[in-house]
Amino acid sequence: MKKILISGLLTGCILFVLSYGGLFLSVRFFPALFAEYNNPLFNSDGNRDLLFYLHAFVFSLALSWFWDRFKSLFHGSLLVRGLELGLVYTLVALLPVMWISFSALDVTLVMVFSWLIYGFIQATIAGVVLALLNP
Amino acid sequence: MYRFELLWIGLLLLLSPGKDRWVIADASNLVVNGSTNINKFSCEIPSYDRLDTLTITRNGKGALLSGNVGLNVQSFDCHNSMMTRDLRKTLHQKEYPRLFIQFLSLNELPGLTAKAQSVTGLVNIQLAGVTKRLEVSYQISADADRTIHLLGFKTIKFTDFNLVPPSKLGGMIKTNDELTVTFHLRIRTI
Repeated sequence: MKKILISGLLTGCILFVLSYGGLFLSVRFFPALFAEYNNPLFNSDGNRDLLFYLHAFVFSLALSWFWDRFKSLFHGSLLVRGLELGLVYTLVALLPVMWISFSALDVTLVMVFSWLIYGFIQATIAGVVLALLNP
Repeated sequence: MYRFELLWIGLLLLLSPGKDRWVIADASNLVVNGSTNINKFSCEIPSYDRLDTLTITRNGKGALLSGNVGLNVQSFDCHNSMMTRDLRKTLHQKEYPRLFIQFLSLNELPGLTAKAQSVTGLVNIQLAGVTKRLEVSYQISADADRTIHLLGFKTIKFTDFNLVPPSKLGGMIKTNDELTVTFHLRIRTI
């Protein structure tokens, strides 16, 4: 349990920096991609910003538990194990959620696709870090 | 409905000679220009859906103005359905369906010629239930059709009206506080 928590929190810290740093740079250098976020579907008064930034930790702790439970099924180098975790997460969790999001919410296909790619990259990075911390 | 209002305006005219009365035509509009850290936006109320009058009374070199223009927030069009809904939400359209411009004074009585004359004046702007007294710059002219064109310009801030400029993705996409408001009233003397 301690190992799950520690590796989850460390992964969360790394993902926090990489995810939000990457997002910040993306907004700065590809502003047109983010124009669609001026949409009332997205919280606009800042009262949930903390929850938004905690996402990296929620995500990492959940994946840390999953990794500890099923790591014996992932073989190969750090990168291969990370990529496999990324693919598993994308297929099992992300794809159905993105499917229902696109069907139910007023969001564009490009937006949903960018979330899918973003989640895959996050899970792959988490997989590499978890494979390193909890082999 | 309009006939009754016109009758009422006519009665007022008879009862208060010496004052000029202007009626605002439906071709009047208001445009709000703003920006975020990723793009610019322009939202407009393309027409005026009420029959309102302005009364102008000479007061030395200047003039006193009275009259209220109530614009329907629901009529805002940002030429992008998502941005339009976002602006209406930010302005609390459900609780405050109209924004009001109450005209108070002009620093100079305009000549009403084809050449636009620059004057300033005081107005009260009521947005989302908060009223601020502001000085507005105007360009006033009159065309051959005797229609008076009153173009008003003012830079305002969301925060002046206790409104929070929208921000998304944890503040990574931010709307700048400043908005430039331009309104064009087409007015007929009655």
